[in-house]
Amino acid sequence: MNYIAPCLYAFGASLAFAIVFNIPRNKLLLSALGGLLGQLVYVVFQLIIGNDVILYLLATIAISLYAEVMARLTKSPTTIYLAVALIPLVPGGGIYYTMLYFINGEMDLGITTGVHTLLISGALAVGIIMISSTVNLVRKVMLGSSLKIGKKLKHGKNA
Amino acid sequence: MTITQLSHVAMEMGVILLSNGAETYRVEESMHRICIALGAKEVEIFVVPATIILSVTLEGEVPLTRTRRIHSRIIDLTKVSEINHLSRQICYEPTNYKDLIAEIRRIDTIPSYPYYLHVLAFAFISQMFTLFFGGSLVDSGIGFLIGIGIKLQMDIMGRFEANVFFTNIVGGLIASTVAVTATGLGLTTNMNTIIIGSIMTLVPGLAITNSIRDIIAGDYLSGLTKGIEALLIGAAIAAGVAVPLSLLRPFWGG
Repeated sequence: MNYIAPCLYAFGASLAFAIVFNIPRNKLLLSALGGLLGQLVYVVFQLIIGNDVILYLLATIAISLYAEVMARLTKSPTTIYLAVALIPLVPGGGIYYTMLYFINGEMDLGITTGVHTLLISGALAVGIIMISSTVNLVRKVMLGSSLKIGKKLKHGKNA
Repeated sequence: MTITQLSHVAMEMGVILLSNGAETYRVEESMHRICIALGAKEVEIFVVPATIILSVTLEGEVPLTRTRRIHSRIIDLTKVSEINHLSRQICYEPTNYKDLIAEIRRIDTIPSYPYYLHVLAFAFISQMFTLFFGGSLVDSGIGFLIGIGIKLQMDIMGRFEANVFFTNIVGGLIASTVAVTATGLGLTTNMNTIIIGSIMTLVPGLAITNSIRDIIAGDYLSGLTKGIEALLIGAAIAAGVAVPLSLLRPFWGG
């Protein structure tokens, strides 16, 4: 239960965020599933990996992959799935405790927590960059094999 | 299709994309694709978060340049998705000007989710994240109320066109004041959990995602602008939360 409950809460929060972002009705559940997936990966790998920066990286890789795949399958922008699924991973607690320690005058703890929070944010960015860049590369290699489309790509900055 | 009509169609679609939360490269790529599909010879487009510059050349005509300044940005990914779909459709089957404009008007006026649903969504986010960070049921109820309060506050301040940082400072202020007061009254002992849970409603999720994606695509200008925006919003939330924590806590003896 300790492992499943956070996933369900993440799912609920993602679903609500999908409504705030006005995501199309038929894709609400699919995008919220991304939030659940990220948390699930985090919880499962928690059993073998102790470093939570690595855990955040793995979770981000999972949701980026999910977002790219779903975007291709449903022919819609990747952002729809990525932005919603990313939110439960944002280190809100880290930002808050950093500030709290500074207010309480505990500078050492504040700096430690602050750096840790920055590392987690970095892990989120790196996770997205790794997957998006790889997917783009694969897409271009596959498209490039057909000369006709390759010419078309030259015109547009197809990122 | 004349050059004026062509640039009008492309510009309208670009404006809808940019003002509803699409990434910079998506706006540039879609507009480029539309112009070429509708028969332009050369197209140059430059997009930053607040402006679109479009320059079109048709065979045997004088080039035409248009600029559009975007004043307000909201988040409506339904419109982004629909325009994205339309821009792909144009490439497969050419459509005439009248139909295209009608279709763009239709997409522009697609209603978003009803207002009460947005308020409930904010409350639900706050409640879910309070539970997520380890709060009890009572805590999540308090989070629910804070979520409603934050949404109403954001809309009231939005009506007066307050800037986004001030809005977030006040949002943090509300979350923290309610949580500290509830703790002072003895309703709960998890003050930190409630505050973290409810400030998650203010997290600029789309700005973070788009800034990273813009930077990957090579649009450093837009990417950095959005990244700084996200960073400043984070700082604003922390500043707002900090005020009641330092001023009210001694009063309640926390």
